[in-house]
Amino acid sequence: MQKLKRLAAALLSAVVICVALSVTAFADTPYVTYTINGYGQIRRTQTAYLAHSTVIKFGEESLAAPSDICLADDGLIYVADSGNRRIVVGTADGELVRIIGEGTLKNPRGVFVTADGSVYVADRDAERIFIFAPDGELTGEYGKPASPLYGDEVSFLPIKIVVNDAGIMFVVCESNTNGIVEISPTDGGTFLGYFGTNYAAVDLTTIIYRSILTDEQRAKMVSNIPATPTNLTIDGKGLIYTVTRGNENDTLKRLNIAGTNMIHNTDGTYADTPTSVAAGNHDNVYVADQQGYIFEYNNEGEMIFVFGGPDDGTQRVGLSTMVSGIAVDKNDRIYVLDSDKAQIQIYQPTEFTDLLHSALYLYSKGRYTEAKEPLTAILRMNSMFDYANKAMGRCYFREENYTEALRYARLAKDYTGYSDAYWEIRNVWLKNNIITVIIALVLLFVIIKLLKTLDKKKNILAAPRAFFGKVREKRFIDNFLYAFRFMKKPADTAYGIAAEGREGWLMPSLLLLIFMVEFVLNKYTCGFLMKGVMDGRYEILSDIGAIIAVVIAVTACTYLVCTINEGEGTVKKIYTAICYSLTPYIIFTPLVYLLSHVLTNNEIFLTTMLSILTYGWIAVIAFIGIKEVNNFTFWQTVKVLLLTAFTALILALLIFIIYVLWAQVFGFIGAVVGEGVYRLGY
Amino acid sequence: MDTKKPRRLLPVIIICAAVLLIAAIVVAVIIITGSETDIVKGTHSHTSPLPALGAKVEASQDYVKVAESDNYILYYYEPRFSIRLENKKTGAVLDSTVSDEKDDGRNNASWTAYMKSGIVLTAIIGTLNTYQVDMNSVQNEISTWYTDNGIYAKIHFKGNYDFELGVEVALSGDDLTVRIPDESIAEHKEGTYISTVGVFPFLGYTYLDEQDGYMLVPDGNGALIYLDNKEGRYTTGFSGLIYGIDDGMTNRTATSTLWEHYETVTSANTVTAPVFGMAHTEDEQAYLGIVESGDERCSVEVVPNGVMVDYNRCFARFLLRDVFVQPLNQSNSGTVPAVEQDRLHSDLAVRYRLLSGENADYSGMANAYRSYLLDTGKIQKRDTSYNTRVDMLGTERESFLMGTVPVTMTTAGQVGDILNDLRGLGVQNILTVYKGWQSGGLYDVPVSSFGADGYIGGNSAVKDLVKQQAELGNTVYLYDDALSVNAATHSTTYNVMKMVNKRTFENKTHGQVYDTFYYLMPGRSSSDLAHLTKDISGAGIGNIALAGITGTLFSYSSKGSYYSRTDTMDIYEDAVSAADGSCNVIAERPNAYLWRYSDAFLDMPLSSSDYMYLDREVPFLSMVLKGVVPTYSDYVNFEANKKENFLQMVESGVYPSFYVAAEDSSKLIYTNSRNLYSLEYTSYRDTIVEYDTALRAIAEKTSGACIISHEVTDSGLAKVTYDNGVVIYVNYSGSAQSDGDVTVDALSYTVKGGE
Repeated sequence: MQKLKRLAAALLSAVVICVALSVTAFADTPYVTYTINGYGQIRRTQTAYLAHSTVIKFGEESLAAPSDICLADDGLIYVADSGNRRIVVGTADGELVRIIGEGTLKNPRGVFVTADGSVYVADRDAERIFIFAPDGELTGEYGKPASPLYGDEVSFLPIKIVVNDAGIMFVVCESNTNGIVEISPTDGGTFLGYFGTNYAAVDLTTIIYRSILTDEQRAKMVSNIPATPTNLTIDGKGLIYTVTRGNENDTLKRLNIAGTNMIHNTDGTYADTPTSVAAGNHDNVYVADQQGYIFEYNNEGEMIFVFGGPDDGTQRVGLSTMVSGIAVDKNDRIYVLDSDKAQIQIYQPTEFTDLLHSALYLYSKGRYTEAKEPLTAILRMNSMFDYANKAMGRCYFREENYTEALRYARLAKDYTGYSDAYWEIRNVWLKNNIITVIIALVLLFVIIKLLKTLDKKKNILAAPRAFFGKVREKRFIDNFLYAFRFMKKPADTAYGIAAEGREGWLMPSLLLLIFMVEFVLNKYTCGFLMKGVMDGRYEILSDIGAIIAVVIAVTACTYLVCTINEGEGTVKKIYTAICYSLTPYIIFTPLVYLLSHVLTNNEIFLTTMLSILTYGWIAVIAFIGIKEVNNFTFWQTVKVLLLTAFTALILALLIFIIYVLWAQVFGFIGAVVGEGVYRLGY
Repeated sequence: MDTKKPRRLLPVIIICAAVLLIAAIVVAVIIITGSETDIVKGTHSHTSPLPALGAKVEASQDYVKVAESDNYILYYYEPRFSIRLENKKTGAVLDSTVSDEKDDGRNNASWTAYMKSGIVLTAIIGTLNTYQVDMNSVQNEISTWYTDNGIYAKIHFKGNYDFELGVEVALSGDDLTVRIPDESIAEHKEGTYISTVGVFPFLGYTYLDEQDGYMLVPDGNGALIYLDNKEGRYTTGFSGLIYGIDDGMTNRTATSTLWEHYETVTSANTVTAPVFGMAHTEDEQAYLGIVESGDERCSVEVVPNGVMVDYNRCFARFLLRDVFVQPLNQSNSGTVPAVEQDRLHSDLAVRYRLLSGENADYSGMANAYRSYLLDTGKIQKRDTSYNTRVDMLGTERESFLMGTVPVTMTTAGQVGDILNDLRGLGVQNILTVYKGWQSGGLYDVPVSSFGADGYIGGNSAVKDLVKQQAELGNTVYLYDDALSVNAATHSTTYNVMKMVNKRTFENKTHGQVYDTFYYLMPGRSSSDLAHLTKDISGAGIGNIALAGITGTLFSYSSKGSYYSRTDTMDIYEDAVSAADGSCNVIAERPNAYLWRYSDAFLDMPLSSSDYMYLDREVPFLSMVLKGVVPTYSDYVNFEANKKENFLQMVESGVYPSFYVAAEDSSKLIYTNSRNLYSLEYTSYRDTIVEYDTALRAIAEKTSGACIISHEVTDSGLAKVTYDNGVVIYVNYSGSAQSDGDVTVDALSYTVKGGE
């Protein structure tokens, strides 16, 4: 689904990057950095992290197929050196501190260091968790939990481990799809249960398949079992993050103590083959993709950066071959473990990223005014970095500067922030003006009452009434008003079109014109929260073209189908009926439009409801219109409409085929001419 | 019935007449356009005659002295075609082959033969190009004669190969020149060809870490590989085709993309200067290798120990003929390997400038290269006075319905306003490259006449702009990518470059609006450029910023004939030379053969391509060019590490560049320039002033002076010494550092002397 979405996004908006030809050279890093903007488009940005240094060896000790990395609080690096069956401890400068577990470990695949320096190792082949003291002495081990809840048939192949402050172990086991194994250290290891279980995605096709397939066929289908998490990490607050390959929108999860995922991101900006996850220092989280892409997300799971990538064989620093682990130190340096290159690549944040992190930090501490300073600097470097715009808006909101908050929220396409800021602004306005508004309403009411009373007594409104009466009698105005009567009494008025000469070209076209004007105005200038198109984008000509094409096609198809079904409608009549049935839109859209400017997310359902009502109404009266104009019965109309839909489809197909054929013909002629010219000329 | 027939014939006749008319027009167009694309050769000679031969060198089983200069003695050992250079004062020795004593005996026969041969060829037999031809493993006949100041050896490789070639080795002063004259090369056997030629691939080699020192890599601005023990960490060394990869030979392969869509890996720097170097700092002996001829098809190989063998070595490898992929059908599903019809026809020549004493380091190499360039006229001393470069984007295009609509970013009037505003803020002498000035916007290429876009004000506005700004001391250049053809805006039938396999070269860019670009045939680039320069100089503008052809070189085929990189290079050189005659030309990352025509170099790289095996970056090219030609950096806009980038400019004497527009860059998100995410002038106004003030102050002190020495002090400060006595210290570290009595704050710099 995620891929489909990506494909669709690619096709629709053609969100493609441009490798500008020899125009702009960027910094000389071997990779580019992307971010995501408020519209969900992937955009290039300044280099977020620079390759800083590479640890190839600790002292004289090389690594062999290392599979996990963990940083201790004192900055020491712990690497699960799987190929050499040991844990290597060293510094970022490549000095060897000690080697742990030689002789004990069989295939250490996961390593974790607690605050007190204890080293927990998940050994897959030994099927055990080993615990070492800081000096490397083995102090404990845990095997497969004895609890029946664990499952007798389920093997215990620990590959990744984290431990919380209470000493409870969270273990990812290979091919255990029940979830993360939670083991308490009490009584030699008490199985507490499964944690953060993934659920098999059940989509519509699967449901349909299941309902129609036989048991045998079902058995042949790819089994739909939930994925085992690939890796996990724990942050300072004890929250556990997991990454799971192929888990679509749940690829990255942040689990609270109850095992509930608190990240809901549907941007489709997750790694395809995540291999490791690390919690950052600013409520941010890093995910490494096996191919070498490094992602940084904020606490809501929104992608801030993605950079790095696979080594194309040129051996450039910062590109990876096969990433197996990621860790982050106190200075936001990222340590990426490459199991194929058997090395650790250290990336250092750039000024740009440092600014962003300091803004994140200040914001999380509630120092909004201070946070604005780095944010301003970021925006000066990249004014289209929507993430900073959003944070800026939120800062202003906290400072109760709602006008600015509104401005930045709009820049960032932050609908929630915009709605909140607008709610406040509206509130203030209401507070200040409520008296005036009430007085005005009362005055208006009084005036109307007065006029009516006077009119009743002295008939003072006789002259205007007579005037309107006269105007109403004019054919044009009469027809115009007739169109609106169609809304209320579609059957009667449609009969008028069919039999009383109410059809025409001018009036329906005028209505169509009004419809188009309203449509365009509403589309491009409605309230921000309702706006479905990007700011600054106008495609008015194609909008109008589309409307005209649809009206013509519908009229033509309906007419064609009605004619062969002995309908009595002419083109003119059908056109009139169809255009007249747009009147609900003409009436209600101004209301929707006005509401969209004054409503916030809390009340926006009103406009949605109104829109649904409008379209429903249009459908009903269009149906009745066609029925009456052709003098059909109900079922005849249904049949005709279905046929019309089919005809429209065929028509579209036909146009497409003709287009393709002509393109082929032109292409062929072009090729022949080109070839001929080429041969003749030379 | 009969009477109706003629009437029916009438439309037929009309159609026939119309077709004939169209055909006639087409033929006329072909003739007219055809005559313009006929430039296929340049006016340069890349060959020189064989040297006059003296007496024959007697066969000997040891090195014999064959030449001597003031400082060096050249010895020669015929059986392995090996030379040895000895410094008369210090006794330091540079060997060209691995001696038997230094053979660690850990290598296979093939590598041993390679290491002990002064010349190593690879041969193509059939379509396989992996045969190694050397003095040891292939039967050969060698005869050597004395020449004026060296020797000339004629080598005949026999066996399966039957190749002949002559090598001239001459020592004059501190220069050792090695030349294989084109006319001496003969391939006698049909179907068996020379592919590459490596001359003295082990000259100045060292074993593991036996000698302190480094090798100079011409990547980016310059980089070093130390001669320490690499412990087998690397599987490849540096191998860079001088002047970039050949788009006429190799298909551009798509690199892997994120989510199958976003390219994340950038391409590496091109080698723009044909140099490499080896410095033995312990022995105080070094050389700078300059590829003098054949450089258009030559790669620089700088290989640290541990890659195949445990010796550090650097050399030039000439590529005479290559194997390419010939598709058999339109879908490219079937391919066969094929061999180029003809080989490179240039002399293959390398000059080794020998450096000793305190010159035996990269500063010495830079000084040597500078004086070489100036002495040979390959570069001219230009006005190097300081300018801040502020480029502007005129118009771009975005898709609309079936066509495109303009996105105007900066009109000519606005360019003037911005420059005037900066002037008001004290930024004088600005160099501006106006991009996207042409009708149709930035990517409406090629441009062959002066037709400014109406949306920026048209020709008159641009003319006025250039004229007015010139009076105020600012120079506005018009940008011209003379290489690319946009398939959507221009005809690509007659004038686009076809690869050696006769397939049209396509440059797919994933652009939002235009995604396919082609290359113009060099002749066409040349005539377009001639028209354009004539037009704009006629309009009184006379400033052009060249891109595209300045940094690209390819082989191509046209009308069934094959043209080499030599032809392309010659045509480009003629074209730029002609442009230089009528206009002020500045060039974007120019290759070395265009240096002499350019008033300034744009987009000068400040760092390397980050190869793993590089140990240190040095501002080598800046040291060569500072004080001779002004160089301008990449755009500051897109730098993430602004402070470090700024300090690099201070260190290397490169002038800063900005890219701005009057409008907000968010307007560009539907154009091909969507990656220009930060352009608004208002965001950069203060930064420009800041950079200008600081860098101008330094430039005034170093005005016209050259960098004579660059080093990193023990405390980690970069110390740059100019020939007028000015010394600049740059501190990249996060804490204050000092050198002697000079203390530099963290992330800062100090300028001493020159008061």
